[in-house]
Amino acid sequence: MPINISNAKRRDAVVAMEGLIPQRQVQYLDPHHRPVATRRLLKTDITHDLPALMKKRKTPAAVATALIKEDPEIDIEEFGMFLADTSRVYVTKKGIVHLVEEQELLYNPDGTLRDKRPRKKEPQNINTDVPLKWTGKFIKKNDAVQKFIFTNKKQLVHVNGLTFDFLFEMAKTLHKKDSLLLIRGGEKGDQPVIMNRGGKAYNAFLEGRVKGESYCLILHLSNMELKRPKEVDENAAE
Amino acid sequence: MPRPLTLSLDGREFDVRILKVDREKLYGNVEIEAFDEKGNPAQLLVLAPDGKTLIDKGGTALATVDENGDSISRADLVAVDEDGQKIETVPSSFNEVNVLKKASVEDYLSQLVKSVYLIEPVENEDKKYLQDHVGSGLIYNFDFSYRGGTEYDKAFTLGNKTDAFMIVGKRAELEFVKLNQAVDLDATEEQEVSTDEINFENLT
Repeated sequence: MPINISNAKRRDAVVAMEGLIPQRQVQYLDPHHRPVATRRLLKTDITHDLPALMKKRKTPAAVATALIKEDPEIDIEEFGMFLADTSRVYVTKKGIVHLVEEQELLYNPDGTLRDKRPRKKEPQNINTDVPLKWTGKFIKKNDAVQKFIFTNKKQLVHVNGLTFDFLFEMAKTLHKKDSLLLIRGGEKGDQPVIMNRGGKAYNAFLEGRVKGESYCLILHLSNMELKRPKEVDENAAE
Repeated sequence: MPRPLTLSLDGREFDVRILKVDREKLYGNVEIEAFDEKGNPAQLLVLAPDGKTLIDKGGTALATVDENGDSISRADLVAVDEDGQKIETVPSSFNEVNVLKKASVEDYLSQLVKSVYLIEPVENEDKKYLQDHVGSGLIYNFDFSYRGGTEYDKAFTLGNKTDAFMIVGKRAELEFVKLNQAVDLDATEEQEVSTDEINFENLT
């Protein structure tokens, strides 16, 4: 995924932003020691789920009897099919609709309604004509980890020799400072980072590490602070 | 009431409770309501690739399949390490003493976060000992598995002035890249910043 980012001298370049995967020490094999894969499959559709069955048979007892005698919850031809390239659609009683008005209902942590407003889908701002801004605002790593939870991470990688120098210098600066740099989007450089249209907004922080002639630039994304909730649910174990 | 987790720091053992924290508990949540042109409520569903099958929440499942696409029971799977050697299962961390080891801030920043827990003491005295350490900026880690299984996650223990937290996840596969490792594209003035200036409430 391309990302347009500027450096301390306000020079900008489009470089690559790569997702990070966890280091895995475990693989799973079938009983014959051959590799396996995970696939998503269809379990039920809306014409066979409980609301549909209730609509036809009216009472739970009638549904239960039908489940035993007729298996109305199963479509033997369709269920179990592998699902790929699915899409999300809005549906009314009349079928799929393409034009909808969306409202956002904002709730407080205690469940009370705070606000209701038309949904605004902000566009992505990581690869536009306006580069993400090197704000010059540094936060010591030790201070940052005591304040924020970094819920997502990406790694920035060069796409040619010029952008190697560009990113290497960034990483060197950040490495020396032992700090994270606040990254902002938008013309004024005052917007959180948004990866895709209507997606989550994040406060973004850039970390640089240097080892010899190589570098590692990590974009840490945070949408929550490291702090105690006002109300702690004593049963929220896992 | 959550089960107590036994931690050991500098040879002192103490029981703590861990309580899950997420964005919803800190800032609340957002729900979307949708209506068609005539004001009829609309529901968001998944459309299958056949273009006609509509699926609601809970209508899909994940299955493990072999090379032929036949499903395999999880009980029949064999867990192996990178060398193909069968690995033994690990116990739940709630059934053992978890020794906290010092970790660097870079170790912590290399972690892909899965879960965040608030650490609450079972006894007040124990909270102070751990709190004094993490409140001063020290970071610890230990291998953690909630229920037991084939591999541990890494749990980092750190905190602020008032509370201690446990951040669970796995180390990211970070790579130091050199000049010859370019990838193809798919498609100021310095100043110190106060961390209080950064807004989290409006990230909705």
